Amino acid sequence: MNIKKIVKKIDDFFNLPQKKQIKKNKKIDSIREKLINKKESLEKSLKKVKKCKEKEELKLQIKAIKNLIKKATIV
Amino acid sequence: MIKKVAIPSLFLLFAYFIISNANAKVIVAGIAIFLIGMHFMENGFKLFSGGALEKILEKFTSTIPKAIATGFLSTAIVQSSSLTSIIVISFLSAGLLGLTEAIGVVFGSNLGTTSTAWIVAYFGFKVKISVYAMPMLIFGVVLRFSSETKYKGIGDILLGLGFIFLGISYMKEGFETLKSSIDLASYAVEGYPGILIYILIGAIATVVIQSSSATMAIIITALAGGQILYISAIALAIGANVGTTVTAIMGAMASNENGKRLAVAHFIFNIITALATLLLIYQLSDFVDYLSTFVGIEDDNFILKLALFHTVFNLMGILLVSPFIGIMVISLNKLFVPKMKKSSKPKFLNDAVIQVPETAIYALRNEVINLYDKSLKAMIHAMNLHREDIFSNKELKDIVYSSNVKLNTNIDDIYKETLKSLYSEIVRYASLSQEHMNNEERMVTGSIKTASRKIVKSVKEIKELQKNINHFLLGKNLDIKDEYNLIREQLAYTLREIESLRKDDVNEIDRLTKMETVKIRIENFESSTNEKIDDLIRTNKINAHMATSLINDSSFASHICIRLLEIANIIWISDKETQEIGEDNEY
Repeated sequence: MNIKKIVKKIDDFFNLPQKKQIKKNKKIDSIREKLINKKESLEKSLKKVKKCKEKEELKLQIKAIKNLIKKATIV
Repeated sequence: MIKKVAIPSLFLLFAYFIISNANAKVIVAGIAIFLIGMHFMENGFKLFSGGALEKILEKFTSTIPKAIATGFLSTAIVQSSSLTSIIVISFLSAGLLGLTEAIGVVFGSNLGTTSTAWIVAYFGFKVKISVYAMPMLIFGVVLRFSSETKYKGIGDILLGLGFIFLGISYMKEGFETLKSSIDLASYAVEGYPGILIYILIGAIATVVIQSSSATMAIIITALAGGQILYISAIALAIGANVGTTVTAIMGAMASNENGKRLAVAHFIFNIITALATLLLIYQLSDFVDYLSTFVGIEDDNFILKLALFHTVFNLMGILLVSPFIGIMVISLNKLFVPKMKKSSKPKFLNDAVIQVPETAIYALRNEVINLYDKSLKAMIHAMNLHREDIFSNKELKDIVYSSNVKLNTNIDDIYKETLKSLYSEIVRYASLSQEHMNNEERMVTGSIKTASRKIVKSVKEIKELQKNINHFLLGKNLDIKDEYNLIREQLAYTLREIESLRKDDVNEIDRLTKMETVKIRIENFESSTNEKIDDLIRTNKINAHMATSLINDSSFASHICIRLLEIANIIWISDKETQEIGEDNEY
């Protein structure tokens, strides 16, 4: 993990004027929500899919979304 | 066909003329030896000075008078105006010298070439230095065997001087002997018609010999031998000056805009000088007679007077033309504009909207997409693949294995001809538009500029990858071939996925997800390749040299893929927060 970058992002975030900060928080929450919804939809599809290749692809996408949700928490 | 017949025929005719005419043989041999002497002198100064001439030209050319003085001194010492011109053109192209200063150097260089006439007239005739020509040649050859570049340079200079004086001595001898059989001076035409004829002869001789210094040497020796009158010699000298510009223009035809601008400036200078001298030829001749009394030249010493006349009329040219260098520069810059290839011209950048931030950002984003598209072709071809295959539905493995033909893509050429100027325009436009933007808009523009830099970097890095791809794909080791095919597949996969997320019907969350998925695949690929390489070394399927190339190249390819994804994140995700989530905190 690039700690310096994360620290910088947190620092930038808290330096924003309050109104902008609230607006940014709301946007990120909205993106996180969309990602969570997408993850749930992919998990449902994973249960239905039988082919190995498609399963692998879905697992990869779920892993990708989990990473993005984690990043969205840091931003 | 005509060239194949004409040139050997002319050569044979020339050979017959020389062999059958003893005097012509001696004179022409003298010219040839003189020319080789000039060549050794030029080479010698290049080796001896070790770049000092370049340093002098760089440091002492900040004003026009300094530039003229530097041009004069450097050419007088080195005895080569062509060497000075070559350095000036390269400095001009690299931006180390402005056109104004470069023209000043060329004018000064013209004056510097008049020193050859002095050397020939004074040392060749007054001092009889031909006596020392042989020892100069001997020591020159001895020094050339030295391992030190400086001594080799001195050797070449001595050889050059020796050959120059030996050449003059042969020319002198040839003309003196010729006098006994034919008196060319008796055929001289009087008045201005005669002057014009000799100007033409001087110009043609210089174009043929490709050296005004050599022509001056011939003129001086012919004058000394009584073969031409003083006034005819003056006209020949004017012709030599004009002839040298024809040579420069012929050379500039294949040159870039800077070479052409300098050649035209040189031509204008010499034509104006020649016309002014022609109009005032008798007045100038009287002035030279008057000056000669002050510099200790005897009244009947026409060869030194000729050298003085040559210097005076070139100096007059500098005084006449220098005040107009500024106007010349403006006109030359307008006349010779670098031709930008159509494909390298920006499609979306419009200076009219540079002050409107939203429009400027929109234009920049589209232009960077344009840069990406142009770079895409170069990157794909560098891997010996084709766009239509990568962006089709065919299996990438099959595409990669069936595409084995080397496409010989020259990335450097593509970069220079198409990408560099487009990239420069993007940077220029972004920098200018940022002046009218708030902080947030500046950050967006900054990240678009970063995307363009990453595109160019990716193209340059693919070039490094290309060398080994071509080397190993054409080799006999099937295992290393398979690994490099996997690298090509990885890059092709990344490009295909990026292409798919460009479509308008893909929302930003899906784009983000796709990019993150590709990143995970690239990570997995890199770790599986490292394990495979260990296995291939252990089983002796590849040697250590191949292994290190493979390790480096697979890491390289992964970095290129990640960078391409970073570019896609900037260009195709416009929402700031979504883009920030997509930025890599991990790599």
